[in-house]
Amino acid sequence: MEEISLAINGIRVSCTPGTSILEMAEKNGIKIPKLCYHPDLEPFGACRLCLVEDEKSGRIMASCVTPVAPNMEIVTDSPRVIKHRKNIVRMMIAEHPESCIVCSKGNRCQLRQIAAQMGIGETDLYPMPNYKQLEVDNPFIVRDLSKCILCGKCIRADHELVVVGAIDYNLRGFKSRPATLHDLALEHSNCTFCGTCVSICPTGALAVRDTKYVGTPDREEYTTCGFCGVGCSLLMGVFDDRVVEINPGGLHGSVNGATLCVRGHFAHDFLNARGRLTQPMIREGDQLEPVSWDEALSTIAKRLGAIKKNYGPQSIGLFGSSKCTNEENYLFQKIARTILGTNNVDNGGYLAGRSALRVIHERTDGGCRINSIDNLCGAESILVLGANPAQSAPVLSYAIKRAAKGGTPLIVVDPRKTDLTPLSSLWVPISPNKDCEWINSLAAILWKKFGHDTAFIERFTEGFGPYSDALSSFNPERLCLATGTDMASLERAAELLKGKKIAVVVGHGITQQRSGARTMDALLNLSLMTGSIRTKAGGLYVIAKENNEVGAWDMGTVPNALPGRLPLSNADARKEWERTWNVKISPDQGLNLIRMIEESEKGNLKALYIMGENPLRSLPQGDRVMEAMKKLDFLVVQDILHNETTRIADVVLPGAAFCEKAGSFTNMEGRIECFSEVVPPPGGSKPDWEILDLLATRMGHEKRYGSLDKIRAEMTRSIALYANLKENTNKNFSWIKETSKLRLFSSNGEGTMIPFSSLRPVETEITDDEYPFTAILGSQRFHLGSGTRTAHSERIRDFGLKGEVELSPEDGATMNLKSGDTVQVQSREGALTREIRLEKGLRPGLVFVPTAFHGNDALNLLGLIQLEDTQSQGFKMCQVRLEKLGDNK
Amino acid sequence: MKPKEIDWNQLSSIIEKHKGEQWGLIPLLQEIQEAIGYIPPKSIEKISDAVNLFPAQVQGVITFYAGFTLKPKGKYVVRVCRGTACHVKGGRSILRLMKKELGLEEDETSPDYQFTLETVACLGACFLAPTMMVNRTYYGRLSPTKVSSVLAQFKKQKGE
Repeated sequence: MEEISLAINGIRVSCTPGTSILEMAEKNGIKIPKLCYHPDLEPFGACRLCLVEDEKSGRIMASCVTPVAPNMEIVTDSPRVIKHRKNIVRMMIAEHPESCIVCSKGNRCQLRQIAAQMGIGETDLYPMPNYKQLEVDNPFIVRDLSKCILCGKCIRADHELVVVGAIDYNLRGFKSRPATLHDLALEHSNCTFCGTCVSICPTGALAVRDTKYVGTPDREEYTTCGFCGVGCSLLMGVFDDRVVEINPGGLHGSVNGATLCVRGHFAHDFLNARGRLTQPMIREGDQLEPVSWDEALSTIAKRLGAIKKNYGPQSIGLFGSSKCTNEENYLFQKIARTILGTNNVDNGGYLAGRSALRVIHERTDGGCRINSIDNLCGAESILVLGANPAQSAPVLSYAIKRAAKGGTPLIVVDPRKTDLTPLSSLWVPISPNKDCEWINSLAAILWKKFGHDTAFIERFTEGFGPYSDALSSFNPERLCLATGTDMASLERAAELLKGKKIAVVVGHGITQQRSGARTMDALLNLSLMTGSIRTKAGGLYVIAKENNEVGAWDMGTVPNALPGRLPLSNADARKEWERTWNVKISPDQGLNLIRMIEESEKGNLKALYIMGENPLRSLPQGDRVMEAMKKLDFLVVQDILHNETTRIADVVLPGAAFCEKAGSFTNMEGRIECFSEVVPPPGGSKPDWEILDLLATRMGHEKRYGSLDKIRAEMTRSIALYANLKENTNKNFSWIKETSKLRLFSSNGEGTMIPFSSLRPVETEITDDEYPFTAILGSQRFHLGSGTRTAHSERIRDFGLKGEVELSPEDGATMNLKSGDTVQVQSREGALTREIRLEKGLRPGLVFVPTAFHGNDALNLLGLIQLEDTQSQGFKMCQVRLEKLGDNK
Repeated sequence: MKPKEIDWNQLSSIIEKHKGEQWGLIPLLQEIQEAIGYIPPKSIEKISDAVNLFPAQVQGVITFYAGFTLKPKGKYVVRVCRGTACHVKGGRSILRLMKKELGLEEDETSPDYQFTLETVACLGACFLAPTMMVNRTYYGRLSPTKVSSVLAQFKKQKGE
């Protein structure tokens, strides 16, 4: 397109047609004051501060909404412009309450900044403050709409970025204000408390509620959020070496841009919680007594050394953490494998369904790792299975909702009505555990309708013949019936997806279910058949529950793989690492989390070292886990908070939270995000890598690393996936390096073909007449994982969520239950007591139990099972029965 | 007394008719306003579902236009003109009289849902000043006696 030539403040410039005058000015380094403009939002022209004059025509116009035109002669600060601009600010100030001194936006209020820059102190206008009631009913956001300047940024962020639609302008003229439906308080609307509006508000109209600190922080530092696997960039406000405020990083190219979720914004209160561990402790009888680091570390080295000598290396187990950094996990498993000589090392990712994901990993030779969430906006169609990202990974859901709102077909396959269904083109209310059959039926129909990508199949895959033959012989009608859905919705899904690349978003509803591996297999076949892998129009997005679930696996904190996800059973891989580490690596596959508990029960496991996990809360059957752990000779827990597990430990080591140390996380996209320390670790606590480094030297590791860079250097040198890591800074990020040898992922078009896998047989259903309901366990956006950290967050606690069990109104009627009644939910494994809530979007026969509440008692319903065991029900669901205990009074 | 019962079937059929028409929000609202006399707040979510907008957006449109109302109005809506021409000709006295006669303040509805009193910036019938409207009928060249007789007419209808 031909460039347009024009002048701005006397300088000749050129730019592409369609650019606004404001963008053009900023590109040329000329600043124009503005209040309602934000680069991530559609320009709106509400505040009129960005007025400029075209000297040629004499017109004055708002530069944010006026596109450039040829031969304009723009002046941004002509006397006329200045006069108008000053008048606008004067009128805004005249309507503004005089509360600047106590306003929590303080020096960051953009209205105040602009008024100061223009030298407007007194307005010389009759003050007409527009007093509105202050809304302080929820623990997160304070609304003081007296200070609102009607720029509409909150409304547009709500509609365009997070796509929730909780607020819009209400009324007209002087009375006009942003309001929720029926002008109710935020907690009675569909507001998700993501806080995006608070961060984007240019004045003090929307502020964070925090009783601890009001004012401008000393300094602001970037870091990466430590909750879910999306890995949002955060800007932390620090006062007196304490984190007092969190805003979205707003960095170009980051996952979240200007958005966050309620956890990222408000749940970091745990950093300053009273329950933080600040000194090493050793058990003396019933008590944990504070000791020096020296004593604590010596005790650990001595005891672990003795246990290894007496019972052998296999008597020691190590729980690593999907919340700790890559560097820490690397060091952790290195201690296990090289010093202790065991592969008994695992992390919480096992519970999130790692075994199901291994299918993808093995079939793609470690490919398919890089899926930028940003690409979702350009996807041709989106298929969401077993996931409610608006609760589990909210920032991911924003991208899906934006795409759906822009017209991308969105299909939600989930037994429950999720937050995405209102925006979806189709919701398939499938029976639990039947996704595999549904996907295969869909593939069969697409094959029948020629919905496959022949060129892609021929170029990159093999074995499509047998696969398509199997599809042809398929009876989708019969299978479809078994999934609890109807043929019409399947046909409709095929219609929506035909000829399109599919971006598949997979949640824990798939990975944690018992047929997770089969389902992932079927999904990969579907993706290959439609040519949806390695294209921006498609992709395979697997939601990671925790911030470094992906990285912990990459670093080898798993019983069956070495760093770089190299299988332990592969002799060559072992040899390579033996050379790097200069030790012999045991070829015996280690114990996973659950097996470690079982072996402790049997008395075979003598010592356990836990870093950053709280298995008493995060594993099913907490009581049984506790009994098992009590049988151990020696239990070390390295964590940041006093929790269920630290209470029974022999030695407790205080670690550092993510923002108290440097390191890197790998998110669900395959993005490696580095960050540096924001605040120092509290009291005598230390960064976890430092603890491990000190301990390793005491246990015989030849040399201390002494610095994070040295650990990182070893990682980048020896883990091919992480070869890009070194160029990282805390405002930057890199991507995992593609190492797959398949042609599909190679850059030069060479390599082997990716095979289609055969259709796996239908599994028999597990039914239990005594337990007629199917309970689905799932997260709510206010908590993460088992809720150890979020339950320590003051504002989340203050919100007073009860975690009601959800039940369909139909079942409620048959059982004579109404919302607010108390029920006992009982499975073969255990029981819990909660209030219930009747929820329209739930199918009869289903019960939804939110996890992380009440000490995460939801996991009592589950058995301590192996996810790979086909007879198990997985970690997502179980059969239960309900019993009414009390009435809603 | 209660306002007229809402005919939810009628309301649903109006909404159904405009399903998927995001552009048709205002005609849809006008139809409901016409048929029901106001837009029941409970219908906002149904409307927003049908036209694929957020409920808050629909509410924003309703509260922006004076032609839509979220509250039930009386059977007779009296709109007294407060435009310049009417003001000069004594429009303020007409309003004062009307308030007294009906026992209502501006934007109030009588408890029996017979009358609603409103003011309008200009009815556009300045040559008839001072003017008012009762539902869709204009009454011009008002005087205190004329006001009383017009009102009596509606009050009588009510008695019937």
